[in-house]
Parts: sequence; C-alpha cells; structure tokens
Amino acid sequence: MHINPTTKMSDLVQSDFELLAVLQRLKIPFGFKEKSIKTVCQEQNIDLNFFLNLARWYHERDFFPGETLMNHPVKWLVKYLRSTHSCYIDYHIPRIEEDIVRMESLDQSGGHNMQLMLKFFREYIAEFTTHIQLGEEKIFPYILNLEENLYKEKPDAEFLKTARGYTIKDFLEEHSDIEEKLLDLRNILLKYLAPPSDNCLFTNVLIEIFRLGNDLNDHTILEESVLIPQVIKLEEAFHNKFTLQ
Amino acid sequence: MAKVLIAETSYLVRKGLVSLLEQTEGVAELKAAGHPDTIVQTIKEYNPDILLLNSAIQLPISHNELTSILHSKARIIYIINTPLPEDSPSHQISVFDTKNKLTEKISYHLKQYETTEEKEEAEDLTPREKLILKHVALGFTNKEIATKLFISTHTVISHRKNITRKLDIKTVSGLTVYSLINGIIKMEDIQ
Ligand SMILES: [Fe+2]
Repeated sequence: MHINPTTKMSDLVQSDFELLAVLQRLKIPFGFKEKSIKTVCQEQNIDLNFFLNLARWYHERDFFPGETLMNHPVKWLVKYLRSTHSCYIDYHIPRIEEDIVRMESLDQSGGHNMQLMLKFFREYIAEFTTHIQLGEEKIFPYILNLEENLYKEKPDAEFLKTARGYTIKDFLEEHSDIEEKLLDLRNILLKYLAPPSDNCLFTNVLIEIFRLGNDLNDHTILEESVLIPQVIKLEEAFHNKFTLQ
Repeated sequence: MAKVLIAETSYLVRKGLVSLLEQTEGVAELKAAGHPDTIVQTIKEYNPDILLLNSAIQLPISHNELTSILHSKARIIYIINTPLPEDSPSHQISVFDTKNKLTEKISYHLKQYETTEEKEEAEDLTPREKLILKHVALGFTNKEIATKLFISTHTVISHRKNITRKLDIKTVSGLTVYSLINGIIKMEDIQ
C-alpha cells in the first residue's frame, strides 16, 4: 500500500503491524478511531513528513532513508533513537534474558549449555549498555547542542570549545558493533545446541532474537547512514559560520 | 543455494534483476541495496555469496577492502551500464543484455558457487582449524597463536576466516561458547 497523509492510521497498522514499533517510538497513543495519519500527527505534534518518511522506509524498504530523513531537524531523529534505545533496554533485552533464565532452570540435560548461553547473553547486555550509555551521555547531547548552537547569533563559549576539539567521527570509533554477538547467539542456538525440553519457549526465544536483530539492523542504518552524515553536515555548517572566519 | 545481493542505484535495473532472480534456480535468499552508503553496511550484515554490483557505483571503500569483507568463496558479478561485446566474460553483465544472456551468466555463477560450497560444507573443521579454534577460545591473540604453532600471522588469520565462515560465528566469545559446547575446550581451561 502507498502511505499518504489521508491514509487512516488504523489501516496503516492493519496493513503492516511491524509499523507499531514506529508508532510506539514516536509515543503515538492508540485509540485512532477513524483518524487519518495527518490528523494523528497534528494532535501529537509530530511533523507529518517526518512520520511519512519513517513509515515509508520501514514499510517499502526500497530507498535509502538518508535522502529523505536527513532533511528534518536532527533532534527529531535523536528523540526517535532515544526511545528505541529505551525500548531495547527496558523491554526486549530483559525479556530475552528472562527467557534464557527460564530455559536454564528447565534444562535437565545435566550439561552447562544454557548456563553458557546465559553468561554469553549477559556479556552482550554489558556491551549493549555501553553502546547506549555512550549515545545517551555523550553523542546525543553533543548533537543536540550542535544543532541548537548552529542557529544562534553567537554559540555558547563552552560549546565552541567542545566543537573545536571534537567531531562526530571520533565517536564513530567507539561506536561498537552491537549486532555481531547477537547474531552469534542466534546461530549457536539455531545450529549447535541440542534441542531443549521446552520447545515452545526455545522457539520463542529464537523468534525474539531474530526480531531484535532485524530491529537493530534498522537502528544501525538510522544511526550510521542518516544521523552521522547529517551531523557531519551540521558540523561543516557550524565551522563555516563560527570558527573559520 | 546462494545468498545474492544486488547493489544497483538504478531503481528500474534493480527491480528488473530482483524479478529475474526470483525465478532463477539456486537463489536461497535475495536482497537489494540501492544507495552507495548502505551497500557496504548491507554486505557486512548480510554476507552475500554472490554480489551483483554496478561498476559505476563509487563505494566508500577500496576494491581490496571490498573483497576482504566478502567471504573467501563469494563471487562478484559487475553490472555494466554500456553494451558488452558478444564474448564478454561471465562476471560482467550489461543493462542491455537479453533475459537469456543474463540468466545464462548468473546461473553459471550460481552453479559454480554451489559446487565449491558443497565440497566445503560437507566437511567439518579440519584438525588444523580445530587447533586454531582451541587457541582462539582460550583467549590467545593471532600473534600469540602464530608464535606457538610456528606459522605466520597471515596463516592464522586465513584459518580464522574459514572457521568463522564454516561455523557462522564471528566473535571470540561466540567461538569460546561453541568450543565449550563441543568439548574443544573445558570450563576449567578458561577459569
Ligand atoms: Fe544506538
């Protein structure tokens, strides 16, 4: 289906329920009644085009999101990525962890395989938390500051100092690959573990891991192919305006 | 069966290739990427066996880097925006080629890939690879392993690439878990 402003929000979700994740991350409440996308966005103070571009990318997948998403204020994307982060940390990750804990308690094979999986997954959580902390504590505040200061007459003295010694490219080095370990976990569960006692639980953990993996992939594309290039542009504009005179 | 990635900026050509490949035997999975910036990311994530790449695309990485992120059995077929001579090599297809010509060339590579793949996949890790894996799982670096086993670091790296490809496990902790599950190392070894 082609998504346009007059499409009913409920029709949109019915045609592609994976888009619920987008709604949730934009904190759009349910209870759409017969309202169109346009009306819902207005009510929730969300830019219509930003919503359409995000929803179209998730739904159609056939273009590079940077071309359309980069033209919006960066703070919207940051807000979106932040709520994605909290979704992972508060919900998806603990759920998978709980399920692995349950699998371990049900494991009667006498081996330590589930214990190993749990240990491995907890290592992953630690890595993941570092990624999120780096974003929340350093990268995002820097980006928001950058955008804010760019439109001022005169940038804050303190930020000017930061901007002189910093570029988003430095962060990229620290920005670790948060998908690799998860893929490994998935492959080990899928290929190398003897079938456990509770198949329903086991299958469900796998499904959750696949889902999270796909979602993280989209998240990485948004961070690395939209956010970072957009910030590089903002940095250039900032330096042209303030530091290169 | 091969995983195919189409890296092509032209919407029409990309869609055309997708629909052609959907009808082609030997394609296990199919993905398309249309923007130079997402292509590299997609290659890394998706790890294709066959890459159809438009030769006019300027990737942000060099050709050598490209081959190093692809696995060792992967094949690249170039999409050329101009007509090709009758006797053009099989790893070049032109946007002007007929359906038959395209199918012929692409199928050739799919078959070639399949034969190398089957030979390789049929066997497990070689004893040598197991030995390397054991050392990796115990936490030794490539350099340490090279010294211990009297081989070059380069050889260690190429063994590791093969191990990762055969097992589908990339990270050291993932390899450690695999080794523990399969008794290549014991719990006591890493405590
Ligand atoms: Fe992130």
